[in-house]
Amino acid sequence: MIPLSLYIHSPWCIRKCPYCDFNSHQAPDELPEQAYVDAVLRDFDADLPLVQATSIHSVFIGGGTPSLMSGGAVQSLLDGLRARLPWAAGAEVTLEANPGASEANRFKAYAAAGINRLSLGVQSFDDQHLQRLGRVHGRQDALAAFAMAREAGIQRINIDLMHGLSEQTIKGALADLQQAIDLGPEHISWYQLTIEQNTAFYSQPPVLPDETVLWDIQQQGQALLAAAGYQQYEVSAYAKVGEMSRHNLNYWQFGDYVGVGPGAHGKLTQPGGDIVRTRKHRMPDRYLAAIIHRVESTPVVASELVFEFMLNALRLRDGCDWTLFEVHTGMDRASIAPLWADLVKKEWVLPDRVATTPVGYQYLNRVVEAFL
Amino acid sequence: MSSKLSHIRNFSIIAHIDHGKSTLADRFIQVCGGLADREMAAQVLDSMDIERERGITIKAQSVTLNYLSLDGNTYQLNFIDTPGHVDFTYEVSRSLAACEGALLVVDAAQGVEAQSVANCYTAIEQGLEVVPVLNKMDLPQAEPERVANEIEEIIGIDATDAVQCSAKSGLNIIEVLEELVRRVPPPVGDPDNHLQCLIIDSWFDNYLGVVSLVRVKEGTIKKGDKIIIKSTGRAHVVDSLGTFTPKRNVTGILKAGEVGFICASIKDIHGAPVGDTITHQKTPEVAQLAGFQKIKPQVYAGLFPTSSDEYEDFRDALSKLSLNDASLFFEPESSDALGFGFRCGFLGMLHMEIIQERLEREYNLDLITTAPTVVYQVLRTDGKEVMVDNPSKLPPPQNIEEIREPIVKANILVPQAYLGNVITLCTERRGIQNDMQFLGGQVAVSYDIPMAEVVMDFFDRLKSVSKGFASLDFSFDRFEAADMTRLDILVNGESVDALAVIMHKEAIRGRGLALCQKMKELIPRQMYDVAIQAAVGNQVIARTNVKAMRKDVTAKCYGGDVSRKKKLLQKQKDGKKRMKQFGRVEIPQDAFLAILKVD
Repeated sequence: MIPLSLYIHSPWCIRKCPYCDFNSHQAPDELPEQAYVDAVLRDFDADLPLVQATSIHSVFIGGGTPSLMSGGAVQSLLDGLRARLPWAAGAEVTLEANPGASEANRFKAYAAAGINRLSLGVQSFDDQHLQRLGRVHGRQDALAAFAMAREAGIQRINIDLMHGLSEQTIKGALADLQQAIDLGPEHISWYQLTIEQNTAFYSQPPVLPDETVLWDIQQQGQALLAAAGYQQYEVSAYAKVGEMSRHNLNYWQFGDYVGVGPGAHGKLTQPGGDIVRTRKHRMPDRYLAAIIHRVESTPVVASELVFEFMLNALRLRDGCDWTLFEVHTGMDRASIAPLWADLVKKEWVLPDRVATTPVGYQYLNRVVEAFL
Repeated sequence: MSSKLSHIRNFSIIAHIDHGKSTLADRFIQVCGGLADREMAAQVLDSMDIERERGITIKAQSVTLNYLSLDGNTYQLNFIDTPGHVDFTYEVSRSLAACEGALLVVDAAQGVEAQSVANCYTAIEQGLEVVPVLNKMDLPQAEPERVANEIEEIIGIDATDAVQCSAKSGLNIIEVLEELVRRVPPPVGDPDNHLQCLIIDSWFDNYLGVVSLVRVKEGTIKKGDKIIIKSTGRAHVVDSLGTFTPKRNVTGILKAGEVGFICASIKDIHGAPVGDTITHQKTPEVAQLAGFQKIKPQVYAGLFPTSSDEYEDFRDALSKLSLNDASLFFEPESSDALGFGFRCGFLGMLHMEIIQERLEREYNLDLITTAPTVVYQVLRTDGKEVMVDNPSKLPPPQNIEEIREPIVKANILVPQAYLGNVITLCTERRGIQNDMQFLGGQVAVSYDIPMAEVVMDFFDRLKSVSKGFASLDFSFDRFEAADMTRLDILVNGESVDALAVIMHKEAIRGRGLALCQKMKELIPRQMYDVAIQAAVGNQVIARTNVKAMRKDVTAKCYGGDVSRKKKLLQKQKDGKKRMKQFGRVEIPQDAFLAILKVD
């Protein structure tokens, strides 16, 4: 059976960050928590007929800023979801939190509601960089939030950290990373700032460090992480042994996921092997008022399946084996054998595993492009 | 419908591009009721998409119109369209061969342009009656007296009584037609004679096979007739024939003096060559008509399919295009860098662009074009002369006694205000002035200029330094010894044959450097450093480096919306479509034409 994850999108933020192209919207003075919880549960109900799995493998509440929600709201949300489809024993349940003072006070309540992993959107420990990134928290907030999460009994913590920030030096980037490592989280998502369309940075781009600096930051940062026991297992994900994000791993292994909440996407394998993608109303108001939340469910055609699988699986440092490819796409490995052989010849991928060589990993977009 | 010979008028319109030829033709069609108003797509005669988009006429077309004259007679007017651009001069003489007269249409605001002068002389040489018309009289800046004067001074035909009209507003269109009927002589010929028919143009139609536009010189041709094409001797049966109105109008008969189309189920596209003569199978002794001078291409370039499995399709497409385009030359070429393709000869750069565009659009091919070159005459040390139309085929320097480059005679007409700019441009292009005459408000200057300097972007530059007013006509004159050499381009230490160019030694250092710089801009960054060098023989004269892209990875990707990631990658991939893999290096189409972008 293909593992099933559950993604819940929470669309509100205090304000939108200039680099963010996710579906996030300025929060109203008072969050319509009850309406939101009700809508998500109805949304989930409507997706259930598409679900084959008998239990949920992992849960992730992302945003937006889910930590704007009260402990009570998270509690009733999770209770409602659990009542509709059981969670596997020891399921990973993550909530994305802004490391601000007010949020940190809720960590205990979140833990009580069943959250067993927190992902802290620290981004940087440098106040000047944080300000430029439009973040509402500061360095001290972040340090305090981490401590409070531990105090609340959260045993698995991820720190989201950016590099390649405007005017960032190699030294600055490494200091930031060292600070994160010193806190001792189980997981670090360390990713390079990229300018995406439909963001404030896109229309007014900041001056980013030149490519040589970016390259040096990456090389030296990876060495630093490795030395501290954080193994890279995906392009931007580093974890201590056994601490990989099971939820994200399921995306990258092309597992199934239900996506509920405004703008959430889902991917569900149907009996017979067809794969369906779902999409929900994007605007929060529209979503809350909707009777039917799903705006689209489209089958993924075979030619796209391979591309989508590779787009995800090759992000993993070790890739996956061919059996996973066959089980999760329903296709025969022979169907892409000539293309794969071509990439092997270029020394971009390995001959006997769905995985890239170090060079292929470095130029992953080119490898994935081959499957378009 | 056929008419008495005395009531037929076969004519062309000589006009500079933008002087309103197509609009005038549309007016004629409207006056004579050739098309219902709703069918009048603006400028119906330019039937190829490319023609309409660029606002130019490339191929000859014809229209037969019935005009009820003020003298009470109905005349059959056969209008044979002519192209207006300098690249397509040869098509003009073909169209003129089917006519007894020509309207010289001149923009009353702009005055005479060099090309019209050249075409007018061709018409006069071929014995045509030239009828001057002053168009664009609706413009406030129209100066009919000055322009009439110019026509007399520059071309030497009387323009005192030239009709002043406006095709745009419809002013005096009837007068133009009346003047045409009065002054253009009717064709001579006898419908009872043995059949003698000139093929003006042929093209391939997927349903009809080869369609030929013909002028019947003598005799009569009917549906069902058994005919032969003189040069091939092959016999065919006429399936369908008639006139263009401009819709195809099947009449079943064409008589001496008339112009129309013939379909005879000719499947082989070389079965009805332009300029050939058609006669009946029973009268094979009928003399072959003079036909047309075979036009020699002036610019050569290699065209290669980006994917080698398109080679056969490419050959078919070229064969088809060459049927209507006698000037398109091609022969197989193989390049170390680009694989198998064709060496193609063109009349000029516009011709080359149009052919490439048609191949890509109409035949759905992806092509790489190498830098165009003129033909050089090379005297080898063994005393043999060879023609070189491909830089990579230039013999090694030790075997070359002398390289001779083609020189053209260029005639330029330019308003006095821009004379200085034009002279500067010609001097920059190694031109030598022969003559200068002040005629009306314009100056006629004549230069000897190396063809290589003229065919590339000279016309565009001339237009830009004269705010569009200067006009140009040129023709090949002679080969002349010049200090030429080959500049090789090395990518990662290996010479790429398709990037080599022949140029004058004086310019080679500056241009070599500029070329390297331009290549650096055009070759996208790759996974490895790419070294670009310009070399003459073993001596590297310029070098540059395209630094490697360190990585190409999307930082963030979590389930969710894959379609956006897909779009981004698709865009990136499409950008690489017209690239050719050379060793490990991907070289885009633009880089092969970099030399054209270097001043």
